[in-house]
Amino acid sequence: MSVSRDDFSIAFRSALLQRGASHKFSIFSLIILAIIIFFLDVYGFQAVKTTRSFINDLVYRVTYLASAPTRLFPGINQGIASHFNLKEENEKLKEVIERYKALELNLEYISNENKNLKKVLDIEDVQSVSNVVLAKVLVDRNSPFLKSIVINKGSKEGIIKGMPVTQNKYLIGRIVETNYLSSRVLLLNDLNSRIPVTFDTSSTQAILTGHGTRKPTLEYLPEGYIFEDDITVFASGKDGIFNAGTPIGKTKDNGEVDLFVDPNQLSFVTVNLIKPTKEVF
Amino acid sequence: MAKGNVLNKLFAAGPLFLLYYLSISEVDTNLEKLFEVFSLNLQIIIIYFWIIKRPNLMGTGHIFFAGLINDVVMGFPLGISSLSYLVVCFFGNYVRNKSVNTTIASDWFTFFIALIFANLLFFSLLNNFSDITTTFTKIGYNTFFTLFAFPIFWLLFNLYQMSFIGSQDA
Repeated sequence: MSVSRDDFSIAFRSALLQRGASHKFSIFSLIILAIIIFFLDVYGFQAVKTTRSFINDLVYRVTYLASAPTRLFPGINQGIASHFNLKEENEKLKEVIERYKALELNLEYISNENKNLKKVLDIEDVQSVSNVVLAKVLVDRNSPFLKSIVINKGSKEGIIKGMPVTQNKYLIGRIVETNYLSSRVLLLNDLNSRIPVTFDTSSTQAILTGHGTRKPTLEYLPEGYIFEDDITVFASGKDGIFNAGTPIGKTKDNGEVDLFVDPNQLSFVTVNLIKPTKEVF
Repeated sequence: MAKGNVLNKLFAAGPLFLLYYLSISEVDTNLEKLFEVFSLNLQIIIIYFWIIKRPNLMGTGHIFFAGLINDVVMGFPLGISSLSYLVVCFFGNYVRNKSVNTTIASDWFTFFIALIFANLLFFSLLNNFSDITTTFTKIGYNTFFTLFAFPIFWLLFNLYQMSFIGSQDA
């Protein structure tokens, strides 16, 4: 009995403390070091924050370079396919142009009407178009636990935590971490994402909740609310973070929201340099 | 002769290179586009297999560093992946010290225990000490798929070991 206990303790101690030619550090010392780094990072000491920010910028650039082959192969494939579909694509584009021309006329009418209505309401146009930063997606690695992307603009461009991020005016998420040259964007489908939204003709209020799956769902709805398909969901702006009226997606009859922008297909995004009025994340 | 030595060194560095590449690149094993709940922690399989079979190819310092890189890329608090990798590494070391020869079945069983401990530690640290929250379901799916992918990768890595490094166990 005592022999087997001795065996156990010897194997245990050896596994924890053994060092060798390729194992210059014992597992025990590295576990202690990892715990120290973890708590220093979690409790946000300034020195660790600065170091982390520097490491993040460096690692994101290396990740971008290291992922070049994986980005290149689908690109080549797409290029060959599009070359063979040029004629068909040309016809489709002509149709799209015609449609846009019609929309443009409609838009002109609507914006004139909007200006007139604003004059009537005496509202100032608070948003400036130049108040945005266009950023490239550096890393969009999918984690099962965190749905986020890393963009190539950071605090140098005036980006701060909480700023809304859009693509083609559609909301895709918010900034949760800033470094000097890069930032991390938490996507709407992440488990930690909660956005106040409004939709339908009676301006129903709800919270758009991510579950880490492709489609977020609508929660905290009025009692007995029956979902309808194809209703556009907008940010309500009640959190003081997102612009009211930013389109997000369309409802489905099971309470899910089909996002306008596929979170897995992001290449360029726009950060709206609007200072959030509340502290976030 | 010298060329052969360089090739041998390159093949021997293969597992470590794969570990670093998986940590730093956008290549991920989270195939949610195909199957929504599918996620796999290939790094843990690599670490466990090579610590048991060829510990000299997988230094603990490298494992720690790969974990730190993974945390930065994934956006987790620094050190959390390193801790879970080191727990797996510890279990692997212990099993290697206690057993003379291992089979796929014995490795699979001990890997299950190592994986449960590593993922439990990851889950409790992430949920209790950071702003990021995750669910038991997500960790559960990850554990399940990683566990069931282990024999496939065991066979692949074993094949690699026998073909390029040498068949002798540690």
